[in-house]
Amino acid sequence: MAKRIIYPLYQLGNPQLRIFRPTFNLTLVRPGKEQPPDTVQFRIPLEMTKFDVRNYLEKIYSVPVAAVRTRIQYCTNKKRNHLNQRVKRPDYKVAYVQLAQQQTFQFPDIFPEKDRKHEEGSVEEMQEKFMEDERQRQKPDPRRGGVTEWFGL
Amino acid sequence: MFCCSYILLSDRWRCTLPFIVSSDIVKMAAAVTSRLTAAVCRQFQRVVTVSSHTQSQYAAQASSKFHSCQRRRMYDSWWFRSALNDRALHTSCVRKGLEDFFDLPENWGEQTVKSGAPWTAKQLRVKSNEDLHKLWYVFLKEKNMLLTLEQEAKRQRLPMPSPERLKKVERSIMRLDTVVKEREDSLRLLQTGQERGRPGEWRRNVFGKTFWYRFREHPIPWYLNSRYKRRRFFEPSHVAPYTRLSLEKYLRSKIRKETRENRNQKRLAAMFPKKTALASDH
Repeated sequence: MAKRIIYPLYQLGNPQLRIFRPTFNLTLVRPGKEQPPDTVQFRIPLEMTKFDVRNYLEKIYSVPVAAVRTRIQYCTNKKRNHLNQRVKRPDYKVAYVQLAQQQTFQFPDIFPEKDRKHEEGSVEEMQEKFMEDERQRQKPDPRRGGVTEWFGL
Repeated sequence: MFCCSYILLSDRWRCTLPFIVSSDIVKMAAAVTSRLTAAVCRQFQRVVTVSSHTQSQYAAQASSKFHSCQRRRMYDSWWFRSALNDRALHTSCVRKGLEDFFDLPENWGEQTVKSGAPWTAKQLRVKSNEDLHKLWYVFLKEKNMLLTLEQEAKRQRLPMPSPERLKKVERSIMRLDTVVKEREDSLRLLQTGQERGRPGEWRRNVFGKTFWYRFREHPIPWYLNSRYKRRRFFEPSHVAPYTRLSLEKYLRSKIRKETRENRNQKRLAAMFPKKTALASDH
């Protein structure tokens, strides 16, 4: 389906409405609260319905959907900017999709720790070396055996 | 009960939506070369990795990526390799489907992900309608993936790798939309002679301003529509003098702007006459 468009009127007997180029975007989010293993959480546009979500996932992503539940999250209009004007954070709709055929889904870790090896002679490598030297200089004298500088002569 | 819908101007709205078929909308077109460079476009990378394996698997993958769940790329899938999936050997389609909301696993944790230039309207105009249809869904899925990544980055309080990809995809989508609209417009003009897809007419509102009113579809005629009758498409008599005054104001400002421009040009011509420019050449 599409946003900000007037759809043709439907009356009994009309053909099924088909949208050829949907403009709706789905965002998969990590659930804030613990969800059952077969539940996937999405942020969807306010104009989307449960049927739209089901068709979208089944047709475009070929994900078997058993059930969809939605709710609208109201976001604050209380925050003020530097001109003391109220700034609205846009509302969004959340869809909880339960997968069919006893499938499960676990939100993956998309930002794993990776030790990066910088190429020789690059700026990042020089910066890394510099930072390493700085850290080495900041360390206390190892001959003092962990005793702070406060004591002593 | 009314069997037909009353459009305010009955026979002007002709639907000239072309020829794009809705079934099987999601075939990864092997022919459609994504503009994001071969090294790093997610779906293109998948094609590249697949081609190193047996021919049958490549054919299966190329033909129907999203419909044949069981035959898909079990060897290559990161879901298949993960520890979570070791218990059951059934390749669950859902993981293949929901995989498309995430980038390729090699790109997870990178600071930057390389991507090429967005599609231009000129490049898109060369493509056929079927190709554009498929491209629309490629863009849609890419945008979904980037939005998911952005939201997760905000949640983890880490910078999103290469946020310019979002802008590129958005521009490509807009350009594709422009190209499709151009084709629809030209088709409609040729077939029916209508300039606009949605009928409308020039009307005067209560403030005396003339505007283009676009019609809507209603199941009942306008004289039974009480909310429509409350809208006034005429200017009341006490507003009429002000239309003339606002027109005069507009004309006055236009003329003032023109005279200002002319005076400026004259002043510049006096400061830098053409004769000196020609004389300096010799």
